[in-house]
Amino acid sequence: MNNTLDIYQLKNGMVLLGERIENVHSASFQFLLPAGASLLPDRCCGAGSIISDWVFRGAGDRSSRDLIEAFDRLGVHRHASASAHHLSLSASLEAGNLSSALELYADVIGKPQLAAEQFELSRQLAVSELQGLDDDPRHKTMVLLYEQFYPDPFGRPTIGKLDQLQALGFEKTAGLVNKMFDPSKTLFSICGNYDFDAVCKQIETLFDSKSNQGLIEDQPVSKGKHYSHFPSEGAQVHIGLMTPAPTVASESYYEIAAAVSILSGSMSSRLFTEVREKRGLCYAVGASYKTMRDYAGISCYAGTTPDKAQQTLDVVLDQFRVLKDGISADELQRAKVGLKTSRIMQGESTIARSSSIAADHFLLGRVRELAEIREKIEALTVDSVLDFLKKHPFEDFTVVTIGPNAVTV
Amino acid sequence: MNFEYQKLDNGLTIIGEVNPLAQSAAVGFFVRTGARDETPQISGVSHYLEHMLFKGTDALSALEVNAAFDRLGAKFNAFTSEENTVYYAAVLPEYLMDVAELWMQLMRPSLRDDDFDIEKNVILEEIAMYKDLPQFEVMDQARALHFGSHPCGNSVLGTNESVSSLTAEQMRSYFSKRYAPNNMVLACSGNVDFKALCQLAQEQCATWDTVDTTRELKDFGGTFEAKHIPNPNLSRQHICLLSPALSMQDPRRFAASLLGTVLGDDSGSRYYWGLTEPALAEIAAMQCESMDGTGAFFSYFCCDPDRAAAVLDAVQDIFTEIEKTPISGAELEAAKNKKLSGLTIGSEQPMGRLVTLGFNWIYNCRYQSVQQDMDAIKAVRVADISDLVQQLKPAKFTMLSLGPNSG
Repeated sequence: MNNTLDIYQLKNGMVLLGERIENVHSASFQFLLPAGASLLPDRCCGAGSIISDWVFRGAGDRSSRDLIEAFDRLGVHRHASASAHHLSLSASLEAGNLSSALELYADVIGKPQLAAEQFELSRQLAVSELQGLDDDPRHKTMVLLYEQFYPDPFGRPTIGKLDQLQALGFEKTAGLVNKMFDPSKTLFSICGNYDFDAVCKQIETLFDSKSNQGLIEDQPVSKGKHYSHFPSEGAQVHIGLMTPAPTVASESYYEIAAAVSILSGSMSSRLFTEVREKRGLCYAVGASYKTMRDYAGISCYAGTTPDKAQQTLDVVLDQFRVLKDGISADELQRAKVGLKTSRIMQGESTIARSSSIAADHFLLGRVRELAEIREKIEALTVDSVLDFLKKHPFEDFTVVTIGPNAVTV
Repeated sequence: MNFEYQKLDNGLTIIGEVNPLAQSAAVGFFVRTGARDETPQISGVSHYLEHMLFKGTDALSALEVNAAFDRLGAKFNAFTSEENTVYYAAVLPEYLMDVAELWMQLMRPSLRDDDFDIEKNVILEEIAMYKDLPQFEVMDQARALHFGSHPCGNSVLGTNESVSSLTAEQMRSYFSKRYAPNNMVLACSGNVDFKALCQLAQEQCATWDTVDTTRELKDFGGTFEAKHIPNPNLSRQHICLLSPALSMQDPRRFAASLLGTVLGDDSGSRYYWGLTEPALAEIAAMQCESMDGTGAFFSYFCCDPDRAAAVLDAVQDIFTEIEKTPISGAELEAAKNKKLSGLTIGSEQPMGRLVTLGFNWIYNCRYQSVQQDMDAIKAVRVADISDLVQQLKPAKFTMLSLGPNSG
């Protein structure tokens, strides 16, 4: 069953996307603001982490307490996060409360109070969250990996850097907030049970008059080292590695998706079979495809006790490298069914779809329909996947480890 | 949405919440066994056994099992808790019978020695992984401290020592006592042909032998001890508090759950205003966990080690205040609305419904629709919350603190 897609552009350039899902009572929406980590000026790393808390500490006529209570009265489940390109403010709720929730978000985005005393508290929380990363070595490994892998500023950690978070001032950060709503680069997406005409009219009233110059993107510079080890007294060595791949906009996207699925799609995949099932080296091992607009790669994590770290890395790297030597028809068939099923099941989740249609529009300039995705997956052959792998062999790896001992790469 | 029920002669219960409009279907086995059903000698066996079920049957090797699930595009997994072991899969409706048949076969595993030996390494790696995650470690240790000699304090993973010394024979013996059809529920939800599923279960499961399985149920208030585990390698202080709550069998558990939201939701709760908003702790959360015959409120705080004492003072103030003054009607309404919208969103996918459906049956042998859950939440009054606070006294708690601060 295809859900219905709606699209509308405001005069100020802001794009509104909607996907109606029948037989649900919820709605989920997302504002993608062009204020991701790569758009922030130098020495502002982590500002998004502060801002995503600060803007909820009072907006419009409502104090911090009034605003949070207003959200809670509506039963809104809120989420705020930063990526390289965007600051994302998202919500899911019972559909009947949609209009009231949009009014609150219009205040949060357009009229945050940005009180100085609240800034200090938001910054303190951002600093604490960053310090807490030391107690989550798996997550920290991947943060450090992305920083090494992507050309600066695209790998900048959204969670921030301690010296820069501590140096960020109230006025400078407020200046960033005032620039972050550039309507010509802002996306709004909604999924579930909604009336698109009513949503468009309301958003138009709430947002159309606002305009900003926005933040300017830096030119990327070269990426980091191929191998970095960060000593730490823990029970495991945490291994993160990443290799370049074409972006989602490339002609080969479905071949990449199939290759990653064969490598790590589920329990019959190469990594799970070779690392965990046959050798018992790890509990957690897995790879996934990460794409930005201009850069993409396949990242992999494996956590293992120190005496098995070298063997784990060797087996993982070997599995990446030998994929081009051959895949079976059965492996590809399993990957195809898995990819199709994931996409169809995503269609039952308002949260997943609101995020996905916004990502499609940003990365591709359009939203892919289920029928198109099915057709492209069906068209995959063993030869087409192998052709891709031979043209783009996995050879260039960036590796990061955290733990009691280093490995040889 | 129709509820369906059937029971085989050997005691296997089959339940379903059927929705022909759903785009997917989910099916799973709920086994009433977990860490609380273990003795210290076999600590960790329930969880280890959960891993071993994926190693196959006399007819299927481990690699064939994995390939079979993936051929169906199944989103499948399993988890073990103190009380239950759950195996589940979500698939497109056309694959539901195939994935259900696979689960039925796997519920009678071979438990081969060589698979047991390889998987032991994986379990030991999982134990090591959680050692590096203090937010899990503190909960595990706090649970053990709070429940003392009560079996709900048993560790799901077990220890390096207990898992290392466990034998395949001990596991086979445990399996034969716990994975009896009368101790299991087969649940399905979404776009499912229930009659066909029952027919399949009759063909595949009717020969399983009934076994007398028991679990001693007793409520337990807690030890109310306090313990500091110093760890200079950690950056933050991780604190867990436990206090008594209500069991899954107690109809007031909806009120207890709302009390948890009023006190410890991540938005607008007493913890939020007392701890997170003033940046005293970056994480401050409370959850109500209702269990078989007992229950506990779990609070978790993550903060600067130097602020641990201030965090505990603030928490004490919050508990004192809630015991002294009833919560406001607005607070209760907000908590209800958050719960209701969460229930709506979580129930929109068959996989989301499956777990609630299965647990309702495991604990209470009854079907509770989403609407009935919503009605139970809506019916809670401020006075119900006040009564609970007076009865449960959250200010009296067990405390475990893990981090650089030695207390």
